[in-house]
Amino acid sequence: MIEPKRVLRALAEHWALLEPLCEHFDQGTLSLNELRSQLAAQQLDSTPQDITSLLDVWIRLDILVPVAKSPNRFELNAQIHDFLAYLRREHRLGLCLEIEAYLRHLERLAGYIQDAFDIRDGHDLARQLRLLDMRVRDVLKKLDNDEQALVAVAERAKTSDRQIPLRQRYAEVLATWDEYVEPMIDLVNADGAFEQGVRKVETVLLKMLSEQQRLGHLVDDDMLLRTHARILEMQTSAQLTLRHARELLLPLREEARRHNAVTRGAALALSAIRRKGIDAVPQAAMPMFTRPQSTFLGSASQVEAYVYALARFEPKPARFPKAHKTQKGEAPRAPRTVREMLERCEDALPMPDLMTWLLEQEPDGATDELLYWFSRLSREKRFKRERLERRDYHTHEHQVSLRSFALLSAGDTAAEDSASTPNAS
Amino acid sequence: MHLDLNELSQLAPIFRELFKGYHVSRRDPELYAQLSNFQDQYRTLFKALGFELVCDTRGFYYFVPDLAAAAVNKTAQRLALFTFILVEHLADQGRDPVAVLDGGSLGRDELPSLLEKYRDLFIQAEVQTVEELEEKIMRRMTQLGFAGEENGIYRFLPPMHRFLDVCLSVQQDRDLAASLHSVLPLPVPVLIDDDSDEKLLETDDPLDLSDFEEAESEEAAMTRAIAEEQETDA
Repeated sequence: MIEPKRVLRALAEHWALLEPLCEHFDQGTLSLNELRSQLAAQQLDSTPQDITSLLDVWIRLDILVPVAKSPNRFELNAQIHDFLAYLRREHRLGLCLEIEAYLRHLERLAGYIQDAFDIRDGHDLARQLRLLDMRVRDVLKKLDNDEQALVAVAERAKTSDRQIPLRQRYAEVLATWDEYVEPMIDLVNADGAFEQGVRKVETVLLKMLSEQQRLGHLVDDDMLLRTHARILEMQTSAQLTLRHARELLLPLREEARRHNAVTRGAALALSAIRRKGIDAVPQAAMPMFTRPQSTFLGSASQVEAYVYALARFEPKPARFPKAHKTQKGEAPRAPRTVREMLERCEDALPMPDLMTWLLEQEPDGATDELLYWFSRLSREKRFKRERLERRDYHTHEHQVSLRSFALLSAGDTAAEDSASTPNAS
Repeated sequence: MHLDLNELSQLAPIFRELFKGYHVSRRDPELYAQLSNFQDQYRTLFKALGFELVCDTRGFYYFVPDLAAAAVNKTAQRLALFTFILVEHLADQGRDPVAVLDGGSLGRDELPSLLEKYRDLFIQAEVQTVEELEEKIMRRMTQLGFAGEENGIYRFLPPMHRFLDVCLSVQQDRDLAASLHSVLPLPVPVLIDDDSDEKLLETDDPLDLSDFEEAESEEAAMTRAIAEEQETDA
């Protein structure tokens, strides 16, 4: 037998060296050389002999054990490993099946307790009750351990690098859900093994309490009541663990599912678009608000006149010059270009009245054309404009009332810049 | 509902942004705070004016067009296509698409390779060069509040959930999946039956010679010509 005090003392003394090693042992076994180099890195002033003697102590105390069939590789003794994991709050998630096995055992123990009571064997009854109590403590310990392990699973998934593959990131969450949470839900269900086991034990204990009143005490009532209380605590604890597990893992599981759905949806959409074009995916044309286009504002009679004109539209006959005929009269003039008009306008600066100048230049010009030139030239950046009083102008066809501009060269600082727009009527 | 316009201190800028099609999220703290504090008031006011304000619990606000009046939105199609491409590209690289599109970022330097890889698809969005990709897609995304750009890095904002929802709805679209996996032959064009063929050949053309053709076939004409010739010879 190994003296517990010596083991505990060795663990306490070498904790600084053991703790970093635990992480390596969590991942797997270590060869003798790896162990030596790890220890040497932590104890820079130690000699190889010091390290050898340290390892000897650990092996003698069964803290380190050789791996089966690999005498040069070592691992932590499983019991010590569990103990250290408990101290470091590094919990490994257990199996739901373990809890189920414990519960089946509890049911059997309830049967033995009943038997012992029936044959009035006080000694056996006390022993079985103690066993039951210890088994319940085992379940509580396991539930506590599993809860811590579940927290760690969720934390690892949440804090892992967001750039790592999705499947990898959520693999542990999904596996934990399938292998632990789901079977636990079945277990803790109203008709699951947990409830059945607890109810059976509870019935036996309560029946025994009342029977003891009638037949006389075989064991202390307190012991029965304590065991009963612990059974109920176990039941509550299991429900809380399960609820906690669901709260922790369900959102992550949903997130993982959502990720898969998004990726699948995108792939499906691209495949449809490749084959049939973007219109094949009606969802892509998501309703999006756009600023309404500016619309024509007109009175009802204007709209009516416009439609009437459209209905009666007739194109003007195009006259083509005939090759065999000589041109009679004045040749038709080519349309004026903007550049040409700007140059002419520039040459005429300073201009006291733009509209008057236009009428002089184009005495036979159509009114709409003259107004176009008026608007175009008055907005030209190379001119400075100055607004004049409203007056009437007579074009070839119409009388126009507007506020014209006096134009000056933009370089002329004397002119006052006015940004107002022409106001024709 | 009683509306106190004094409370709605950001009404003008909020309306201006929403009216442009912009999605207001936490990136615009003042506007977002106003909208979340007086959500119902803003919604009621805009509703009365004929604008539908959507308050998404994932942290953003936007106008939706009147469904009856909504035409197919080219910008939405383009941006959705870009989202599909980006999701697939990131998944191919083993990166987490949702993490990138939900508050993550994308370097501007990643755009050329993305365009190269998905050139065939980008053409459908009328995007052929990196400049066009930046202009027609990335700039639109920032203008509409889906992303923000800083020092050559595009950071995606909560409104991107709208496009992620599009991916989800595509995934749930059984018709689309079925149409992709169907092995049915292409539809055969319907041929006009013989009876209606006649009607189609009817014409009011005065120069139509079909009656004469029918009256005398080539063979009959040949027989008649031979007979006439024999008569003259005789």
